[in-house]
Amino acid sequence: MPETSPVNSPDRSVLLDHVSIRFGNFTAVDNANLKINSGEFFSFLGPSGCGKTTLLRCISGFSDPTEGRVLIGAKDMKGVGPNKRPTALIFQHLALFPLMSVADNIAFPLEVRGVSKKERRRKAEELLDMIALPGIGDKKVSELSGGQKQRVAIARALAVQPDILLLDEPLSALDLKLRQHMRTELRAIQQQVGVTFIYITHDQGEALTMSDRVAVMSKGVIEQVGAPDQIYNRPRSSFVASFVGENNALKGVVKRQSEDMAALETPMGTFEARVGGGRKYKPGDEALLFVRPEQLVPGQAENAFQATLSRQEFEGATNHVFARAGDTELRVSMVNAGLAGSVGSKGDTLSLGFAPMNATILPVGQIASEA
Amino acid sequence: MSRAVVFGGAYAIAFFSFLFGPLIIMVITAFNSSKFPRVVPWECFTTGWFAELFGNQRLMDGLLNSVIIGVGVVALAVPIGLAGALALSELPSKLRATLYTVLILPILIPGVVLGISTIVLWGQISRGLGGAVQAGIYNGYFLTIVGQITFVSAYAMLVFIARLQRFDATQTEAALDLGATPGQAFRKILLPFMAPAIGSAAFITLLASFENYNTTVFTVLSESTFTTALASKVRHGTDPSLSALAVIIITITLVGALTNEAVQRRKEAELGGKASRSPLYANPVTRALTHPGVVFAILVAIVATVSYIGSKHDSSVCEAAILQDKLDRQAELRAAQKAKIEAQETEQGITVPKPEGGFGGAFGGLGGAAPTPAAPKPEGGFGGAFGGIAPPAPSE
Amino acid sequence: MKHLTQAYRALANRHGLGAALFVAIAVTLWVVVFITLPQLSMLDYSFRFNLPADQIGTDADHYTLSNFHSFFFNADGSLNTLDLVILGRTLLAAAIVTLIDVLICYPIAYILAHGAKGVAARLMVIGLILPYWINEILRAFAFRVLFGATGVVNTVGMQMGLWDVPVDFIRADVALYFGLSYAYILLMIFPMYNAIEALDHTQVEAARDMGAPLWRVHWRVVLPIAKPGIVSGATMVFMLTAGALAAPQILGGPSNLWFTQVIYQWFNESSNWPRGSAYAVVLLLTCISFVLLMMRVFKVSVGEIGK
Ligand SMILES: Nc1ncnc2c1ncn2[C@@H]1O[C@H](COP(=O)(O)OP(=O)(O)O)[C@@H](O)[C@H]1O
Ligand SMILES: [Mg+2]
Repeated sequence: MPETSPVNSPDRSVLLDHVSIRFGNFTAVDNANLKINSGEFFSFLGPSGCGKTTLLRCISGFSDPTEGRVLIGAKDMKGVGPNKRPTALIFQHLALFPLMSVADNIAFPLEVRGVSKKERRRKAEELLDMIALPGIGDKKVSELSGGQKQRVAIARALAVQPDILLLDEPLSALDLKLRQHMRTELRAIQQQVGVTFIYITHDQGEALTMSDRVAVMSKGVIEQVGAPDQIYNRPRSSFVASFVGENNALKGVVKRQSEDMAALETPMGTFEARVGGGRKYKPGDEALLFVRPEQLVPGQAENAFQATLSRQEFEGATNHVFARAGDTELRVSMVNAGLAGSVGSKGDTLSLGFAPMNATILPVGQIASEA
Repeated sequence: MSRAVVFGGAYAIAFFSFLFGPLIIMVITAFNSSKFPRVVPWECFTTGWFAELFGNQRLMDGLLNSVIIGVGVVALAVPIGLAGALALSELPSKLRATLYTVLILPILIPGVVLGISTIVLWGQISRGLGGAVQAGIYNGYFLTIVGQITFVSAYAMLVFIARLQRFDATQTEAALDLGATPGQAFRKILLPFMAPAIGSAAFITLLASFENYNTTVFTVLSESTFTTALASKVRHGTDPSLSALAVIIITITLVGALTNEAVQRRKEAELGGKASRSPLYANPVTRALTHPGVVFAILVAIVATVSYIGSKHDSSVCEAAILQDKLDRQAELRAAQKAKIEAQETEQGITVPKPEGGFGGAFGGLGGAAPTPAAPKPEGGFGGAFGGIAPPAPSE
Repeated sequence: MKHLTQAYRALANRHGLGAALFVAIAVTLWVVVFITLPQLSMLDYSFRFNLPADQIGTDADHYTLSNFHSFFFNADGSLNTLDLVILGRTLLAAAIVTLIDVLICYPIAYILAHGAKGVAARLMVIGLILPYWINEILRAFAFRVLFGATGVVNTVGMQMGLWDVPVDFIRADVALYFGLSYAYILLMIFPMYNAIEALDHTQVEAARDMGAPLWRVHWRVVLPIAKPGIVSGATMVFMLTAGALAAPQILGGPSNLWFTQVIYQWFNESSNWPRGSAYAVVLLLTCISFVLLMMRVFKVSVGEIGK
C-alpha cells in the first residue's frame, strides 16, 4: 500500500534479481537481472513472444518467478498477491469493466478499499480532470472512443496511487495518429505523477521516444539495457543492432584491433569501425559490421566504396536508396535535397563512405528479421 | 439453386405445419361447446371451457404446489448449476471431461429412474431417522424438489457454461490488480457479468420444474403438481378445458415472445447506431409505440379486452338447441334400433340382451360423430378414455 | 484427488475462499447426494425382497437376485417374453423415433444455418421454440385430439371418403409415434444447427461449383461437420424417448405398454418397489450401454452433448 511507504520519498524502484520464468521445459524469461529506478520511465522492447508480458505479470504478482526474486521498494515480493503489491497494470486490452460507468471504473480501486461513495466520486472527478476528460463520469465504457478508453484505464490504474505503473502494449489497439499523440500524453502524465512506469512494447518508436531507459529483449534474454540513444548508437549485440532501427550488416574477418577500433575485411573492402560491447577479437575472427542507412554518405572519404544504384523508394523528406556492391544490397537514406539536388537514377554508380565512429563491429549472432 | 430454394421453402412450410397444426387445432377446440375436443362438427362457440378450467380444484391445487416446488428448485438448482460451471472452468481438461459427463448424465437418465432412485434413497434415510424428521423429508414437496434438482441443475449449468465462455478472465485479474480481494472480484465483476445468465437459468429451471412429469409423478407421492394433475386428467378423460389451458399458455407465450422481440430489436437498433437513422425512431409517436414496455402494455390490454368480452359471451341458448337436437336424434336412433331388434327377435325367435345401456350411454355424451349405433371395435378400448365425459351408463 | 485440490486452490486464488468453498460444497452435494447415492440406493433396493415394513432389517431382509431373475424368467423357468418384448419394443420404437427426428430435422437445421436470413431465420427460431413452451402433457393431448376416434383426422378422412369407420390410430400406435417424434424435435435441431452453422458456406458453394449434385454435397461436405451435432441430438432424443412416460400413457394403445409404464405399474399399482427398482436398473443400464455403443460406433465423445 502507498500509505506504508514514507510520504516524502517513497522508494519506487524495482529490482529483478536473477529472475527466470519457465513453463515446463520452456524458458520464457531467462535470468533477467536489472534495476529500474524510482520515478523512471522504463521500457521493455522486443518482438512478439519474447517474454515481455510474462515478465510484467511476474512483477505485478500474477505469477511467481521460477528462479530469482522480484523486489519492489527494496521489499521482496514473494508470496505477495497482485492485490497487495504497490503496482497497477494496464492490460493490453485495457480490461475496463463494461458493466460499470466510467466513474465507477475509475473509483473501483477505492470502492474495494472501503472508501465512501462521496469521496470516490470526488476522486474520480479529480482523475478525469487530470486525463483531460472532465464530465464523462456517467458514460458507459462502450460509449468511449479508443483514446478515451486508454486514458480512463490510466486514470483507473492511478486511482490506487501505485508506486509502479505497468503498461502492456497499451497503445497497440489505437490507430497511428492517436498512438503518436498518446506517446506524448503518457510521458506528460508520468512526469506529472512521478510514478515509475514500466512499459512494454514491440514498437521501437514508442520505446525510444518515451523512455528514460530501454531494455531490449529477445527470446527471453535481456540483450541490452540503456538510454534510447545508447541503444540506437551503441548496440551491444547483432540482435539489438538489427532490431532497433534500420541497419546494414556486412560480414567479414577481423584484420586487427586497437582499443575500441578495429579493421574488418569484407568482400567490399576493408573498413575501420568502432568495436561494440567492449569485446576483444583475434585477427581472423568472423564479425559483423553494422552501419546505418543515414550514416552512408555520398562522397565521404573514410571507408569509401563504390556501389550501383538499384532502386529508390521516395518518402517525402527522405529518399531510401538501395545500392548494390558485389553481392550485398545496402540501404542508404538521403535527405531530400528538393529540386536543387538529385540522387541519380537506376544504374548510376555511387561513391559512398562512412565515419568509423558511426559503424559498429559486433560478434556474429542473431539478426532480427524484418517486420 | 432456385430449385433448391423452392424445395427448401416447401419443406419448411410442411415442417412448420407439423409443428403448429396440432396446436392450432387444439386451440380451436377450446371454443367448441362439444364435450369432446374437436373441430367438426362445430356445435356452438363457447368460452365456457375456461370457466370449467378454473373451476377444476385439483388443477388449481396442483398449480399452487407447482409454484412452491418451483421456487424451491430454482433457489437450489441455480446456485448448484453455477457451482458446476465454475468447477468445470478450473479443472484440467481430462478431469473436466469426466465431471462434465457425470453432471450432464441426469439430463440423459430416464426421468422415471431419477424419480424412483430419489424416493428409494430418501425413503431409506427417513425410515432410519424416524419421527418428525421422517415427516419433514418423506413428503411430496421435499422429494420432488431434491429429485428435480438432480437434473434441473444441469440445465442451469449449461446456461452458465455458455456465459462463462464469453467471460474475459483479464477482468478478474484487473480487479485483483486494482486491489480487490478475490472475493470482491468475484462479487463485483464475475457475478454481475453472470447476472443475465442467472436470470435465464432461473427461468429455464422454473419452467423445467413446472413441466416435469416423469420424475415428479413418483416423487410427489400423494400430492399432485399442476403437470401430474393435468396428466391424470388427460389419462382419465379429456375435455376441451385442457384446450382452454393451451390457449392461455400460448397467449402468454406469444405476448412474451413479441415483447422479447421488441426488446431485441431495440437493443440491436441502439447498438448498431441505426436508432437515429431509422424513420420509426425519428417520429416520436412510432418511437414510443415500439418501446418494449408499450408493446407489452398494448398486448396485455388486448388480451384483457378479449378475455372480458369472452367472459360475457353466453352460449347456453345455442347449446340447449344442440342438446335438444341430439336428444331428438338419439330417440330416433333408439326407436329405429328397437324396431330393428324387434324385427330380428321375431325373425329368429331368440331374446338377446338389450345393448342400449352400454352403447347408448357411451355415445350419449359424445354426440353424433359415430355414424351408426353399431359401434366399431375400437370403442371398447376407449371406454376408459371417454368415461369421464360419458354419463354413467345404466348397465355399469 | 491431487487435481481436485489443485483446482480448489486455483478457484480460491481466483475467486476467493468463499466462492471456492461454495463451489466445492455445492458440486460435492450434487454429485454425491443427488446423483450418485440415489442410484446406489436404487441398485441396493433392486436386490432386496419386497417385505412389509415390520420385517425390514430382520433375517428375512437379505440380498437376492429374484427381482432380476423374474425379469428374465417366468416362475416356470421359461423366458419372460412379456417384459423382454416390451423392453425390446421400447428400444426399437425409440430408435425409430430418433431416426425419424434425424431425417425430418436435418433439412430444417441446414436451412436455418445456411438458407434462411434475417427475418426469416428469426421467425424460424421463434417458430421452433414456441411450441415447446406448451406443457408436454398438453402437446400429447393435442395429438389425442388429432387422432382420437372422433378426432380431426378421422372426421376429415371419413368425410373425404378415404375410410368409413373411424381408424383406431391410438391402438395402432400411430398417435404415439407422431407425439414422440414431435416431442423432442427441438432437442434434435439445435445441436445439429450448432454443428452445421460452423460450416463455412463457401465450402458448399465451392462443391456445387465443381458440379457435385446436392445430395453428394451434403453427404461429403455437410454431414461430416454435422455429425457431432447429430449424434448429440440423437443421444438426447433416444434417451428421452426410451424414458418417456407421459406420452405413452396418454397416446399409447392399451395393449402396447412402454417399458417405463411397466416400471410405473410395479411402483404405483403393485407397490413392489424392489421389483420396480430392478426394472429401473435394467432400463438405465440398457439405455446407457446403447448410447455408449452408438458413441463408439460414431466416434463421438460425451463432451459433445449439451453443447
Ligand atoms: N501460461 C503459459 N504457459 C506456457 N507458455 C506460455 C504461457 N504464457 C506465455 N507462454 C509462452 O511464453 C512466451 C512469451 O510469451 P509473452 O510473455 O506473452 O510474450 P510477449 O508478451 O513478449 O509477446 C511465448 O512463447 C508464450 O507462448
Ligand atoms: Mg504480450
